[in-house]
Amino acid sequence: MIVAGIEPQAEMVHWWFATGVLILGLLFVAETIVGKEVWARRPWRRYLWPGTLFLLGVLMWPVMALYTNSMIHMVAHGSWAQVLMLSGAAELGVARGKLHSQYWRLTTAAAMLVSGTAFLVHEQNGWYFARAAFLHHALGWTLIGASVFPIAQAIRPRSLVAATGFACTFLVIAVLLYSDRDTAAIFGHFSQFAGLPHR
Amino acid sequence: MKRALLLAVLGALVLPASAFAHASLRKESPGFRQRLAAPPRQIVLQFDQTVDALPKAIQVFTPRGTNVAETPHAVQSARELVVSLPRLPKGPYTVRWQALSNDGHIVSGVYTFGVGVPAPPVTDAVGAQGPTRTEDLVRWLYFLGLALAVGGVGFRLLVARGPIPPRAQKRFFWVTGIGIVVVLESGIAGFLLRGEDFLQLPFSRFLYGDLSPLATGTRFGQTFVIMELGFALIAALIYLAWLTDRSAFLWVSFALGLVFVSGLSLSGHSAADAGHSWLSELADWVHLSSATLWVGGLVQLAVVVWPGWPELRRTAFLRFSRLATVLIALILGAGTYLSILRLPHVHDLWTTGYGHVLLVKLGLVVLALAWGAAHHFLAVPRIERDGVVGALGRTLVAESAVAMSVLLLAAVLTDSKPPPQPVTKTPVAAVSTRR
Repeated sequence: MIVAGIEPQAEMVHWWFATGVLILGLLFVAETIVGKEVWARRPWRRYLWPGTLFLLGVLMWPVMALYTNSMIHMVAHGSWAQVLMLSGAAELGVARGKLHSQYWRLTTAAAMLVSGTAFLVHEQNGWYFARAAFLHHALGWTLIGASVFPIAQAIRPRSLVAATGFACTFLVIAVLLYSDRDTAAIFGHFSQFAGLPHR
Repeated sequence: MKRALLLAVLGALVLPASAFAHASLRKESPGFRQRLAAPPRQIVLQFDQTVDALPKAIQVFTPRGTNVAETPHAVQSARELVVSLPRLPKGPYTVRWQALSNDGHIVSGVYTFGVGVPAPPVTDAVGAQGPTRTEDLVRWLYFLGLALAVGGVGFRLLVARGPIPPRAQKRFFWVTGIGIVVVLESGIAGFLLRGEDFLQLPFSRFLYGDLSPLATGTRFGQTFVIMELGFALIAALIYLAWLTDRSAFLWVSFALGLVFVSGLSLSGHSAADAGHSWLSELADWVHLSSATLWVGGLVQLAVVVWPGWPELRRTAFLRFSRLATVLIALILGAGTYLSILRLPHVHDLWTTGYGHVLLVKLGLVVLALAWGAAHHFLAVPRIERDGVVGALGRTLVAESAVAMSVLLLAAVLTDSKPPPQPVTKTPVAAVSTRR
């Protein structure tokens, strides 16, 4: 029972990752505001968000391995761990100069598509069944829809619209993950302290 | 204002509500794998969220497969499922449960308990069939992945050490990268297949099946968790070695790889079957690690050095030949010890299924050894004398293929049960283990 002894609450884990995604979003916003050239003047800054992306992928593995109370959650967390690592690895490779083609950005688009699909596949209920279902659908479709931004960045690296859209996507995802509180009605039930959860 | 905002954020972080995932089993009575002195009157399952009782929500099976549970009902704000039981005779029992979760999903699970006897692990629950051919195949892929990743890194550090041409470097990282991905993916696949076997659910219900009894209550599951985390870390280290061109990351990943390989030895026959000891676990680890280095080295020699680094062919072949001699000695020594331990009688070789597979494996090992010996006694002196390495590339590929076939047989053996050990002392109620 070693595993059960060190397992944190699922809620906490969602919020930790929401914080990670929020940091990513803020880094993207900062890079978009100052421009790629200014951002890259300090060499370490080039590695900031790809490194965070890669680290989030590594940290997702314990979530996959520790939360085995359902097969679908395990597979979903496993897929997020892998695509986060893959996307971070490709972006780090580009930042380091190991990978040269700008089309490596498509890895991030693929990662967003896979992540979004994993969200949708592991939710069987409709949008308005409960907040959990709403969030899963919202997260899934946001990621799938927003995958056009890294595709656009691969084709037009200097596109301000694509960079802004990409940055905003991560802020939206962070907000949605922070909203992951309980099995409540869509927006009305913020915690156990607000009464019995809605069915 | 800023302070208030900060406090609000901190407050939100330290006051978690329930997760948005579906209901999880929090507590059960009798407990998971609990050995009871007296038979229980009822089964009580406590969830973290409200659940609805479905028909046959709790079934309690005798070893013969008869369900002895009465009609279950939900109680206490619908967070508990309760079922009454008749007076149970002594023996192991399997509880299969299902509940309609708050989020509309049907969650399911299995656990075992014993009345007057030890409870078996969930992998031996009533209805579980044991490892299948698909599991053998997945385990083989796991072994192959280990060889490509850990053996590949070992080859790079011990044999093909020093600066490396870009083409060979690229091939090396491709091969080890594929290896580590195969380890991670086949690890997950193997775990899910074992879970599917003990849960015995149709696919749509298996999606929401509770795998935690397997992950936390069996050596197999605990090993899966530790090895999966370990090899995810090793994947990151190998990637960092590529990104930064620093071999320090490779050294760390190699050392960690050898450590985490021991997970298989600490959860397999050498750790769970009758007659196991620290020596059997050590022998198993030596056997597995040496085989990993040998097969991984052969593949690196055939796929990386031969096509990508022609100027190192001679040196690498001679160095690997010396290393392989040591590795083969270790494989044979540890393998012989383990065979004697698992097959106490020579006739077990031809009278048991385990023995049959071992015989085929030994046949392939002899073939691989003959191949290696030909390289060692015919090719090495020629290379040392004339420096000619010509047609060796093809024979290295063939030797690698034979070595990989040996791994397939090793996978089948790992999933098979060795014949029972002869009883020499007063029988002790041993916990039944498949692994």
